[in-house]
Amino acid sequence: MSVKPEHYDVLRRPIVTEKSTMASEHNAVVFEVAIDANKPQIKEAVEALFKVEVAKVNTLVTKGKKKLFRGRPGRRSDVKKAIVTLREGHAIDVTTGL
Amino acid sequence: MQVTETKSEGLRREYAVVIGAAEIDAKVVDKLQNNRETFAMKGFRKGKAPLAVMRKMFGKSLLGETVQELVDGAVKDLVARHEMRPAMQPDVRITTANFQEGDDLTLEVAMELLPEIPEVDYADVALERLVVEAPESEVEEALNKIAESSATYAPREEGAVSETKDQLSIDFAGKIDGVAFEGGTAEDFPLVLGSGQFIPGFEDQLLGKKAGEEVAVKVTFPENYGAQNLAGKEAVFDVVVKEVRAPAKAELNDELAKKFGAADLAELRARVAERVKAEYDSASRAHVKRRLLDALDEKVSFELPPTMVRVEADSIAHQLWHEEHPEEHGHNHGSIEPTDEHKKIAERRVRLGLLLAQIGTVNQIAVSEQELNQAIFQQARQYPGQEREFFQWVRGNQNALNQVQAPIFEDKVVDFILGKAKITDKTVSKEELEKALAELEEAEL
Repeated sequence: MSVKPEHYDVLRRPIVTEKSTMASEHNAVVFEVAIDANKPQIKEAVEALFKVEVAKVNTLVTKGKKKLFRGRPGRRSDVKKAIVTLREGHAIDVTTGL
Repeated sequence: MQVTETKSEGLRREYAVVIGAAEIDAKVVDKLQNNRETFAMKGFRKGKAPLAVMRKMFGKSLLGETVQELVDGAVKDLVARHEMRPAMQPDVRITTANFQEGDDLTLEVAMELLPEIPEVDYADVALERLVVEAPESEVEEALNKIAESSATYAPREEGAVSETKDQLSIDFAGKIDGVAFEGGTAEDFPLVLGSGQFIPGFEDQLLGKKAGEEVAVKVTFPENYGAQNLAGKEAVFDVVVKEVRAPAKAELNDELAKKFGAADLAELRARVAERVKAEYDSASRAHVKRRLLDALDEKVSFELPPTMVRVEADSIAHQLWHEEHPEEHGHNHGSIEPTDEHKKIAERRVRLGLLLAQIGTVNQIAVSEQELNQAIFQQARQYPGQEREFFQWVRGNQNALNQVQAPIFEDKVVDFILGKAKITDKTVSKEELEKALAELEEAEL
């Protein structure tokens, strides 16, 4: 599959934390993705950019916290994360960057 | 680690060492593992960062460090395994071009070994020690000097003129072209005529003056005068002679002795005699030591590590060059080629150095902590006010420490051999000793 510019818009960055490292034991990689991206788009983007085969994609949205800014209520942006499970025999080195 | 000997020739050894990639890798991981416990990273609790991530971050810099350690370790191991005693720091070259992670590392190690030093039978080293009895006249002379140096001055009668050795109390104001210069003025300055304390010509012009007289002293500062702004200038000093005092030689008696910390004159005399004798003893020792070294030099012969000789020869040549060119201080002169003569001296020094070190080790001669401290203190006295700093500096600096230690060690070893060798005392006169020393000095150069 050829790489299209919009693929880069879908995947924001990999999430490297203790929890995401645990996910990697199940051959899964965690990304922060565009809030309006859906699972098929994420799957396509990952397959195109990393040249791997994706088994499934799970997504979740963490709601932004409510914060006060100069006494006025505000809200941090929501963030969509995607847990991308790869087919067996495929791997992504998350630290290399896009 | 694989080691193959590529050259073994005389004292020279060369080895090719291969350190496997796996060995390097294991070492890097080991290092990471050690640091992991305390390493905190964003997104991970302390100590939970995955090795793979850490490796990405620090692998490169650790690799350099690890290679350095492995190389050092390999050389040390090599030396220990073959029970070699290298003469100098082994020369290590990394032959892998563009070493990268996952490559095998190949090294070339070249070194020179210390030669086997044959046992020396000191018993048939026969030496003559020159002993000088300190002559009574010399003691007397030294005592007189003491008396003179503690001379007191008594004012001369009104109108008497000054003579050499008199002390004048003067006020003076020096001027160059009519302008007073710094440090050229003083009041009530005690000046002993003929002491050479002032610039040449100054004191001469004050001879034959009476108290109360005013003199304009014209002098020229010498070209090599300490203060550059004055050197070579003509100056006029307006001098007022305030008082003329004649010297009164202190009498040699118990009182004078007390002034110098002795109980009475007899003790002072004994002390002076001791000092004079110590001077002769040290001269005689220097002589016998040189003779001993000469004898040892002739007695033993063994192969010398060429690098050591070369380094020594270079340093001799360098030092002599500086002595001949005192105006050059920096190191920005070209390289100086040692001559054959320098090489010969260097060979002798290296041979004797190795021999003495060997004798010292075999006979377990060591410089004690106490002796070392004493020696450092003695040197520290050259830096008044900074003794403590100097002491600590030397203590914390292996090189400087060695430099202090070496002569003590040498002396001890020489003493040891002197104790074993056949020594005959021969009483000679002062002149003969001086001549013998001068002869040795000649031979040195």
